[in-house]
Amino acid sequence: MKQYIVRRVGYSLLSLFLLSLTIFLFVRVTGDPVSLLVEPGASPDDIETMRRQLGLDQPLWVQYGHFVASFVTGDLGLSFYYRTPVLELYFQRLPNSLLLAGVAMALSLLIGIPSGILAAVRVDGFWDSAGKIFSLLGLSLPQFWVGLVLILFFSVYLGWLPSSGSGSVAHLLMPAFTLGWYFAAAHMRLTRSSMLDVLGSEYIKLARLKGLPEALVIGKHALKNALIPVITLAGINLVVMINVAVVVETVFAWPGIGRLLYEGITFRDFPVVQGVVVIGGAMIVLVNLMVDILYALIDPRIRLES
Amino acid sequence: MVSPSLSTTRRGALGLSAAAMIGATLRAANAAPDGELRIGVHVSLAPTWFDPAETPGIITPFLLMYAMHDAMMKAMPGDPVTPCLTESWTMARDGLSYAFTLRKGVLFHNGDALTAEDVKFSLERYRGAASKTLKERVAGVDIHDPHRLTIRLNEPWPDFLTFYAAASGAGWIVPRKYLQQVGDDGFKKAPIGAGPYKFVSFTPGVELVCEAFESYWRKAPVIKRLVFKVIPDEATRLAALQRGEIDIAYSIRGELADELVRTPGLTIKSAVGSAPFWLYFPEQWDPQSPWHDPRVRLAASLALDLKTMDQALTLGNSRLTGSIFPENFEFYWQPPAPVYDPGRARKLLAEAGRARGFDAGDYYCDTSYANIGEVVLNNLREVGIQVKLRPLERAAFFKAYSEKKLKNIVQGASGAFGNCATRAEAFVVKGGTYVYGNYPDIDALFAEQAAEMDRAKREAILHRLQQLVHEKSIYAPIWQLAFISGVGPKVGQSGFGLIRGFPYTAPYEDLTLKGKA
Amino acid sequence: MTVITPVTTETVASSAPFWRLKGFPVIPVSILLFIAFVAVFADVLAPHDPQIGSLARRFKPPFWLEGGSLAYPLGTDHVGRDVLSRLIFGARVSMVVGITAVLVAGSIGTLLGIVSGYLGGWADQVVMRITDTWLALPALTFAIFLAAIVGPSELNIILILGLVYWTRYARVIRGEVLSLKQREFVRLAIVAGCSKSLIMWRHILPNVINSAVVLATLMLGVVIVTEASLSFLGVGVPPPKPAWGLMMADGKKGLMVGYWWLTVFPGICIMLMVLSANLLGDWLRVKFDPQLRQL
Repeated sequence: MKQYIVRRVGYSLLSLFLLSLTIFLFVRVTGDPVSLLVEPGASPDDIETMRRQLGLDQPLWVQYGHFVASFVTGDLGLSFYYRTPVLELYFQRLPNSLLLAGVAMALSLLIGIPSGILAAVRVDGFWDSAGKIFSLLGLSLPQFWVGLVLILFFSVYLGWLPSSGSGSVAHLLMPAFTLGWYFAAAHMRLTRSSMLDVLGSEYIKLARLKGLPEALVIGKHALKNALIPVITLAGINLVVMINVAVVVETVFAWPGIGRLLYEGITFRDFPVVQGVVVIGGAMIVLVNLMVDILYALIDPRIRLES
Repeated sequence: MVSPSLSTTRRGALGLSAAAMIGATLRAANAAPDGELRIGVHVSLAPTWFDPAETPGIITPFLLMYAMHDAMMKAMPGDPVTPCLTESWTMARDGLSYAFTLRKGVLFHNGDALTAEDVKFSLERYRGAASKTLKERVAGVDIHDPHRLTIRLNEPWPDFLTFYAAASGAGWIVPRKYLQQVGDDGFKKAPIGAGPYKFVSFTPGVELVCEAFESYWRKAPVIKRLVFKVIPDEATRLAALQRGEIDIAYSIRGELADELVRTPGLTIKSAVGSAPFWLYFPEQWDPQSPWHDPRVRLAASLALDLKTMDQALTLGNSRLTGSIFPENFEFYWQPPAPVYDPGRARKLLAEAGRARGFDAGDYYCDTSYANIGEVVLNNLREVGIQVKLRPLERAAFFKAYSEKKLKNIVQGASGAFGNCATRAEAFVVKGGTYVYGNYPDIDALFAEQAAEMDRAKREAILHRLQQLVHEKSIYAPIWQLAFISGVGPKVGQSGFGLIRGFPYTAPYEDLTLKGKA
Repeated sequence: MTVITPVTTETVASSAPFWRLKGFPVIPVSILLFIAFVAVFADVLAPHDPQIGSLARRFKPPFWLEGGSLAYPLGTDHVGRDVLSRLIFGARVSMVVGITAVLVAGSIGTLLGIVSGYLGGWADQVVMRITDTWLALPALTFAIFLAAIVGPSELNIILILGLVYWTRYARVIRGEVLSLKQREFVRLAIVAGCSKSLIMWRHILPNVINSAVVLATLMLGVVIVTEASLSFLGVGVPPPKPAWGLMMADGKKGLMVGYWWLTVFPGICIMLMVLSANLLGDWLRVKFDPQLRQL
């Protein structure tokens, strides 16, 4: 077992190393931050000064060394654009991202699960189609458009909600809905199918035979089991949400990590891009590692096989 | 020439009853600062902009520097080099030194008096744009008393004041004592300056809050609080302005500006910055290319219906100068106004043996300005020049442009600091960052002006150089882009267009709100 | 829209032609066929050149509104181009981009999924590590990078979307293969002395194709909406090419000004296409393989 864990940790570190190298080279191939920090046509002296200040005059392997070192010392380096440690920027944004993703997830489950249950209970009925189409709509409309329509209606026309920014529950509603609706379809689909599975199972048939009221059968016995895969998917999607939130964050001026990374890329802010991507990668690798180890603990065959 | 932006302001002012205006001004003069002005900003604010020593070569940081800091001299309404922290200066007869007398009684936000020590410290600490040039040419600073100092140069440098006052942040003064106490990082967390507004709080990616500094030497600001809110999407910015969440929205482009004009209570303000746009023909030095023929290049220029484009995209606020040099730069030469003449363009193409038009290949531009490209594409097609639009994301575009990888047609722009000579160096003269080929006569003129100490003679040479750029049709100039912003109903004096060439609202101490004072 | 697309849980074994099958999604399939028809015959159907306009006639509303004309039945955009013609040609661009991107993603993902699932061991480890690392690069981020490196063009958008979404295939197909491996016919093939590559090609691949097809219909929607987001972030199909996503991103500003036709028409097109593809996918999924319900 110990050997297995050691090997898995080794693989994870290797993944991270590959990721860091990839992203390091990627950002450098695609553009020059100095050309964005000074105006095109600035004097060669200024460009050179800037290059030196940012450490871009050094050979690539030295720059990579600094990058790895900044990870080990923990500040992740100074952002080119903000001139602030990347870690500080990251943790300023992380709560916003978690909040947005959390509420969006809650809304998405709030839409997805009931419509999924309705669809499963009334297969082929009106509610089945209505729920399905409402969920699928969220998937089929670009988020920037949904967001803008919401702003026009709720902020400009009705004047109920602030158009953008952060800081209160009112600020959170529109971005969270826009993001959550997009994910509702997936949750509806899964709730529906896993509900159908459970409803077809022996013990539900048994419960029905025993004459339990239908509402109780569905609401208690079936739902409890049907929700397990949905919750698992929701967990994965929570991570995905943090990543895809950039469009919503842009429209609603929500200061999250998606936007930090997007701006990092457009400004070729190497330390920000490297830092954010590698932290994200580390999280995913860590989760996978824990899952693998847990499975290995439960099922000894896995250990032997690999 | 009266700038359109100034005349817009004037028109706006005329709309109000003159008596009310005077009344408001009188009241404002003796009341304590009051009210709050919220500005929707289009870019993420960076703490590095709180420190004048790190001024990069872009205009955006000045958006904050005009609020929190002050300079020895800076651009103010009516004069690009207005004495501010310094009362006066004199240049020594040999041109080797400048003596400054500082204004007395100027305070930093923390109450410390501003002295010659701070001026020396700020210049020596400066590491932003043009710092290398300044370091090489400035020999040292002598302090005579707290309010008098001399800056010595290694050799006569006629452009010194331009650099010290406008093309860098070296003349912006930071408090020496405070900085030495808190260090660079501490300064960015809680900056202290001598400007009209003091720093209150900063939430990265969200907002910056400033408060009036009542002891500001020029006058106490009228508005109590300034809030800069970051709103990256322009449609959202406009929505926030319509809802009254913000009072000023920067950068409202295209059809959104139409809405600005249409919404009651909102006004449109535009300011022309110093960023000319142009088409560049990188293949004009290749005899095989159709662009080798100057008549073809001129035809492309004549095909551009700039007036209609200006009306459609910037509501007629951009300036059609016909030059790739900014008209507010030193040594500027005004070429004849650009003409739209598709008939003549077709004739020129026919003379060049391209009567049926030709396929010109790719048209490269920065994605953010692809809207200009879309219009130009239609214009060129009307005279028979077919092009394919290839918008590149900004960083990739400038990388490819400067590495000389682009072909066919390039739609470029530059807002770099400097004067017409520095522009020529980067865009026309052999070896320049964005120069794909050169003309020996222009190179010769450039070399000649660089050695010329007499300003008038130098100006004549640079005029001749710009004339050649025009005559050879090296570029097809588009316009000097207007920066359009929206102003809400609460705002009295918005400050747009007061300072020539500055796209943002300033000076902040002059801004007013309606009904408050 | 009242499309009722019932989905049954049990597989109906039937010899009837497929469109007679129980619950065959007639309307969604008709919509998709119609879009395909428009895409193929765009040159004949479109009244104007989709890429040429004139500022003189920008922002004309649809014909039934004041100021509109039948010459531009659905109005004109910010450069004065005909919205209807752009929609018609946009069907082609969106179809081509969508389908090819899904094919690219499907081919890479299926191939890697089979290899990793069947061979196991090192191959599996390598593929799975790459998938992990890939996930850490958010799709849009990755797209911005690729767009910056290779420059924007339809082909690149296809590549980007394909490269972004192959991991979903790889994971699903790998799971399928793991269970197929235990099946009788694969074991027999091994006993019969078939080589590994032959087994993967002849026995495994045909059995995962169904899943791949189902995934493809579901992914089509995701790909098309992502294409729109890319345009919003400035790295999508380059203008002035007509693509529905680009039309929405371009017309977004017009929405604030009341030029609703710029986004509503392409929005309806995207919506119809994504809805139809999903409903068809749902149906196929249940038809082909009830196991796949948990996609």
